[in-house]
Amino acid sequence: MNRGAWLLGRLAQIVPSFLLIGVVVFVLARLLPGDPMSAMLGDHASDATIARLNAQLGLDQSIPVQFLAFVEGIFRGELGVSIAYRVPVTQLIAERLPATLILTGLSAVIGIVVAVPLAFIAAMRENQWPDLVIRSVFQVGLSTPIFYVGLLLLTVFAAQLHLFPVGGYGEGWADHLWHLFLPACTLAFSFAAILMRSLRGAILQVLTAEFVDFARAKGLRSRLILGRHVLRNALIATVTLVGLHVGSLLGGAVITESVFAVPGVGRLMVESIFARDYPVIQSLTLVLAVLVSLAFLVTDIVQMWLDPRVGR
Amino acid sequence: MSKVNGLTRRASLALAASFSALPVMGLPGTAQAAPVRGGKMVYGRYADSLFLDPVLNDANVDIWVMTNLYDTLLLPTNDGVGVQPGLATKWEMKNGGKTLELTLREGVKFADGAPMTADDVKWSLDRCRNPKNGPWTDLVASIDSVSIASPTMIVLVLKHPDPSILAALATFNTAVLPKKLFEAAPGTTDEEKAKAYAEKPVGTGPFMLSSWQRGVSMKLVRNPHYWKKGEDGKALPYLDEVEFQIIPDDSTRLLKLKAGELHGTEFVPYSRVKELKAEKDIRMELWPSTKVSYITLNCHPKLKDGTDNPLSNVKVRQALNYAVNKDAIIAIVTQGLGVPMTSFMSSTTPLHHKQTLYKADVAKAKALLKEAGFPNGFETSCMMVAGNQDGLNTLTTLQQMWAAIGVKLKIEQLDNPSLTKRYRAEDFSMRTASWTNDISDPGEITTYFAYFPNIGSLHSGWQNKKVDALYLASNEEVDVKKRAAQYKEIQEIYAAEAPIVFLYETPYPVAFRKNALGFVQIPLGNNLFETAYVAK
Repeated sequence: MNRGAWLLGRLAQIVPSFLLIGVVVFVLARLLPGDPMSAMLGDHASDATIARLNAQLGLDQSIPVQFLAFVEGIFRGELGVSIAYRVPVTQLIAERLPATLILTGLSAVIGIVVAVPLAFIAAMRENQWPDLVIRSVFQVGLSTPIFYVGLLLLTVFAAQLHLFPVGGYGEGWADHLWHLFLPACTLAFSFAAILMRSLRGAILQVLTAEFVDFARAKGLRSRLILGRHVLRNALIATVTLVGLHVGSLLGGAVITESVFAVPGVGRLMVESIFARDYPVIQSLTLVLAVLVSLAFLVTDIVQMWLDPRVGR
Repeated sequence: MSKVNGLTRRASLALAASFSALPVMGLPGTAQAAPVRGGKMVYGRYADSLFLDPVLNDANVDIWVMTNLYDTLLLPTNDGVGVQPGLATKWEMKNGGKTLELTLREGVKFADGAPMTADDVKWSLDRCRNPKNGPWTDLVASIDSVSIASPTMIVLVLKHPDPSILAALATFNTAVLPKKLFEAAPGTTDEEKAKAYAEKPVGTGPFMLSSWQRGVSMKLVRNPHYWKKGEDGKALPYLDEVEFQIIPDDSTRLLKLKAGELHGTEFVPYSRVKELKAEKDIRMELWPSTKVSYITLNCHPKLKDGTDNPLSNVKVRQALNYAVNKDAIIAIVTQGLGVPMTSFMSSTTPLHHKQTLYKADVAKAKALLKEAGFPNGFETSCMMVAGNQDGLNTLTTLQQMWAAIGVKLKIEQLDNPSLTKRYRAEDFSMRTASWTNDISDPGEITTYFAYFPNIGSLHSGWQNKKVDALYLASNEEVDVKKRAAQYKEIQEIYAAEAPIVFLYETPYPVAFRKNALGFVQIPLGNNLFETAYVAK
């Protein structure tokens, strides 16, 4: 099988998974107790009012009929209108998605920049003090809840030292990055911890591989061995991990966005679930599923490029 | 009525006295130094607005800020109990309370500079009372017709004398909108036009919307045509701009306030009030509200699962009330900021009748349970919105208090829509709840709490024919004394029958930087920024 065919096969796998995600989310949202109108009007509106308004939204129709209408809308490029905000879902998502993308992108970069060098140091000094220090610090990162790390960073670096703004998003690119730096660090903390540990393990494994011994025996300088052989092999592990963690970064964004008042899709998702805002829930899930699938695809492609064995 | 996260809206001078640190400096006319003109105030909100149409909206997040954009014919007084001139300068009841003549203020302009006309007023009133339009039409259901007697005179003919009509004309849903602009908005139905119009609303209020990024921020700029005058004799508002930032997390909002990135913020958690009072740059303001917090009891003879319901026995409900030490709950849940309820309606509601409700008495509670046939108590459950700290504190305290009389309480945490669904299906034993009024009149709360035909008295199934009859009569009783007597009886019957467990009233906790002055929150919840300013 050549690489092109392999890639096509990968793409073909994505389509049914979207369909499955779409159906599951669509049905699950409607199986949740409550409905958009009683969530919105609260306790005291009359049953007749709620039934009339739900009917206006087409919610009195059967779930398959509603699903077909939704799918049909997708092909027309329409995702429906948010029930709570009364604006097109595409507009809402377009407004909110950039913040989440910048946040998760920035945190992935921070995580990589921090974790990769530290993983090398830890591996090179296995079980010596640098290794122990690095591993214990990241152990804290792994075991501390995200919202707590966030509040801690906010209190120290924003409220007391005034180095960063206390949450928000700002206006313009530079301002966005400045506002999102602390939340990205928060999100990157546990991600970097996982990355560092796995990378350290991968490096240790590569260091004991026969080809490294062979390279050493050939008399190659250790910098060259590290750069050409160990780094390349370790990168494969890193890329896989980063790809797999896009989903959990997006998940972590839900909490981080709330703590730091970042107007991203994570917060929108939480609000929409509580509001039973079906059009937003289903469209957003689909958009996130596309994003995660794309991340997986990119991971596969990069892996293919780094590791000649993949796709053969 | 409108509820968001269980918070709704309304108050009196009696209550004002009971909350320490009442922000007197916030009341217009009593500011210490001359207000500063110009500049911008940044205010942190816990949630964004959803829909800025006064008629079709349904949430406090809309109602509480909408009065900055729109005016009504009459305006609530800042203490929330009376009305004062708004877009109408005079009003006169005629024909035995069945005709109301209103004289329009002259020279009022909308924010776009167009003059407000009697046509706009008639059209707005007709729109808000159209039964198809949204959840608020009941408030103006007594209006039979609206006519224009002259360019400055509007005449309302009522179906019957209505003691709450003046309060209704001071309530957000009767705001005056520009007919031509609204009708020119794209769309065919009222709902579609409202959606388009509310994107860029134009009213006669002190501010106009300049930009709105949903869930992020909303910017209001000064309406140069606003009719109200400030202390300096020049037109209000003082500020050039108000920016609302949406920050759902309580801790983050307060950190932003402390860091000076916000001038003020709402919904300060009770547990943080003391700490903020001690901050030298911050001023805590506790505005009298109409908020009451209570436990709704299911009074049906049987529960939905078919089992007998002990709460259907009035003695059991009284026993539960006697077993509660309200002062202890207030200390634990509100850090002492609340006061015990003295009726089902807040003490800030007009015609509130003050009673001492169920002073804690465990022996009496036990005796009542024994008389009711439950000498060893029973097991029951209470629903609450998952994650609500106040609700959880209340219920864990009640668990202990009721354990003393043998009642075992199970706490059920549900997400809000799930809870609402079971509540509306009357499939519950108890639930935590709170209420705020939307109109300065006892009628609204009574129709939900006590008048059975509306929603079965908070879906409790409790019905008292006398109360229903008194309520109906009170809706047409224009003699204030007679109406007060009717309401006294309703409140006494309600207290004795106890379809709820009476807990406490609380103020609105708002915090400001020391240099941010002049903000007013009335008991109905309305956030008024027209007299707000930032001192140098």
